[in-house]
Amino acid sequence: MQKKILEFANLLRKSGIRVSVAEALDAFAALDELSLDEREVFRDALRSSMVKRSEDIESYDQLFDLFWSGFYDNLRESFGAAAQGLSGQLDLEALLRAVQEGMANLDPGEVDLSELARALLTQDLSQLEKLIREAAEAAGVSRIENLLQIGFFSRRIMERMNAEGAGQELRDLAARLQAAGMSQAEAEALQGLIERLMEALRKAVRNLTERELQKQNFDYMERFRRETLIEKSFYHLTEEEVRQMREVVSRLAQRIKNILSIRRRRLQKGKLDLHQTLRRNMARGGVPFELSFKQRKKDRPKLVILCDVSSSVANVSRFMLQFVYSLQEAFTKIRSFVFVAELGEVTPVFRDNDISDAIDKALDGGDVINVYTRSNFGYAFHSFWQNFLSAVDKRTTVLVLGDARNNYNDPRAWCLRDVHHKAKNLVWLNPESPGAWGFGDSVMDKYLPYCDVAEECRNLRQLSKVVDRLVL
Amino acid sequence: MFESIDNVQSRLRECGYVCGKNISTVVFLAERLEKPVLVEGPAGVGKTELAKVVATATGRDLIRLQCYEGLDEAKALYEWEYSKQLLYTQILKEKFSEAMAGTRTLREAADRIGSEDNIFFSERFIVPRPLLRAITAKKPTLLLVDEVDKSDPEFEAFLLEVLSDFQVSVPEVGTFTAAHRPLVFLTSNDAREMTDALKRRCLHLYIDFPSEEEERRILDVKIPGIEQRLADELVGVMQRLRKLDLKKTPSISETLDWARALLALHATELDDGLVRDTLNVILKYEGDIRKAQSELGRLIVRKAEEKRPEPAAGAAPPAAPAPPKKGTLH
Repeated sequence: MQKKILEFANLLRKSGIRVSVAEALDAFAALDELSLDEREVFRDALRSSMVKRSEDIESYDQLFDLFWSGFYDNLRESFGAAAQGLSGQLDLEALLRAVQEGMANLDPGEVDLSELARALLTQDLSQLEKLIREAAEAAGVSRIENLLQIGFFSRRIMERMNAEGAGQELRDLAARLQAAGMSQAEAEALQGLIERLMEALRKAVRNLTERELQKQNFDYMERFRRETLIEKSFYHLTEEEVRQMREVVSRLAQRIKNILSIRRRRLQKGKLDLHQTLRRNMARGGVPFELSFKQRKKDRPKLVILCDVSSSVANVSRFMLQFVYSLQEAFTKIRSFVFVAELGEVTPVFRDNDISDAIDKALDGGDVINVYTRSNFGYAFHSFWQNFLSAVDKRTTVLVLGDARNNYNDPRAWCLRDVHHKAKNLVWLNPESPGAWGFGDSVMDKYLPYCDVAEECRNLRQLSKVVDRLVL
Repeated sequence: MFESIDNVQSRLRECGYVCGKNISTVVFLAERLEKPVLVEGPAGVGKTELAKVVATATGRDLIRLQCYEGLDEAKALYEWEYSKQLLYTQILKEKFSEAMAGTRTLREAADRIGSEDNIFFSERFIVPRPLLRAITAKKPTLLLVDEVDKSDPEFEAFLLEVLSDFQVSVPEVGTFTAAHRPLVFLTSNDAREMTDALKRRCLHLYIDFPSEEEERRILDVKIPGIEQRLADELVGVMQRLRKLDLKKTPSISETLDWARALLALHATELDDGLVRDTLNVILKYEGDIRKAQSELGRLIVRKAEEKRPEPAAGAAPPAAPAPPKKGTLH
């Protein structure tokens, strides 16, 4: 059992669930306290000691079913079917009794059945499971990688446990029993039973191999799915994938907020506040046991976001707007703008609508801005400079999300320069890699001098890296 | 001590808490293995309630530590009671002079005070906070660390130390070791992920929204007066509401609130108007309410329509007087 649990823990680890050695030990301890006749209890006990993140519970449940599979159930099913197939009025018990009696009459030297043959004949399922598993291990079934190998490994397992040999032994036995005076009907029934048992064995082995393949592939599929979402460039996201990322994004926004609040708390201790200290210690005759400090003015960061929503970055902007939306939920002092050529404020839209509506509204032509034009960063920055420069002060961080592809328009970098001068920080997240900045119609090089931070931000991994380093 | 998992279930049930096998298994193991339990799940599914009920069912004293940003050791573990110390010095002034009598040099006087200073740093002047209370308690206790995700990471590290061996040392006094290991429940709403170190030391329990059947049983236990049909409909609506994409998904506590509100309105069945008027009991955001209202038709499924019970002459249902006017709740 212990070995099995360690194996299971290994499988969990392979699938990206972190299980420490201590936790596996806890699982042993937990199982010592329980009776294991209920599958559910067993599953919950293992889960509570080995799986500590709620996101992992789903994978755990699937893996649990695969691993503690009902291989035994499957075995029972296929062998049950084999026994059902008895023809005529003979029932299984009577037949087996007849076989027993017949065997007792035979010379003991002649009926030396192998373990497998005996297990088959008596349908000793747990013995069968043990034999099959041993053979599977010897055949190296855990190395299985793809569907095409199922046949190969099944055959190999059958060979390992010498299934054909066992079948032959049983057939010989049947022939000998018949020779020793078993009735015709019984003998035929026995022969039929043996063939069906062999078929059931083949099925069971194949089933085990298939399960093994699923098990080995589970983590692969899972990891593949997760990695693609994290690594996948924003350019290639489908709308559905963007939706899936919603949660991740809001967690990122929350993290930004947490970073900020930690920073704020560290700054809390200021100068000694004499008035407050005296007042607080009046009860102790003015002896200053507890000191009070002047609170530094809370440095609530302000955020102004400019998000490019032109069609060249269509899905990127859908994603980025999600990010903006989540940021807006996390911060109070925040203003969000979208632009293509025109610039429009979406703060109220984002505040009053739920996320998908808000994004649709922002991207829908005409509601906020006309999105069906060619992007013009210069024009957009200029109109920001004209209308909203007052939104920027020395506590404001300006966050620009866009590719800086300006369609050969005038970049008007001086607008950005003024914004940069007024703001505390100017951060530009560009979905293109730095190699492409300044080539073609990209005017990123013109804007670069006025950015405090300019980062490539093409997928979730990069975004979360940027977030980690971001000092707003 | 619980005898078995079923025993956990039935004893919690006696205290008015309906739970499935998953919860009772973890509670059982927590007591057997003496391990803390980290309970996670959406708000309002009964995480805190679980701890309280387990305390009642096992006859332990409940000691609660509510976490918040900025919670520190002084508020969680112990504090010196300065005012009391000061007061004692004032009162004992005369005694001091007596004790000092006969000392000639300052050094001698200071030495003599020094030999007595442990009277001021003794248990007498310690204000125990929840953690120390749980450790020094004479009776077995249950320590509930509520909303541990709201605390700061530094506090989490400190908590870890306490939870690993239930032993606290106060430099001036010495080390306190728990006579009875308290049963510990930590609850978290996932505002931030707890560190692996903490998670490793705990059993993990995730309480999700209940299934329809479970919710129905909870409703029966918690609100005994409710009519079966109303309860069925209500649970149905809640289950369908949870499938909508809402900002704040209503949970069990909202179901119970709603049931109580409907009882107060003497409602016997749900209809569009009633649901519309009372939606603000279960949904807490304007946007959510609007969304739910637009989906109202799909939320209320009239499965009772065809088999409306005839008012039997013998067993007339309690004649609930129809409310004069279905007022809106605020």
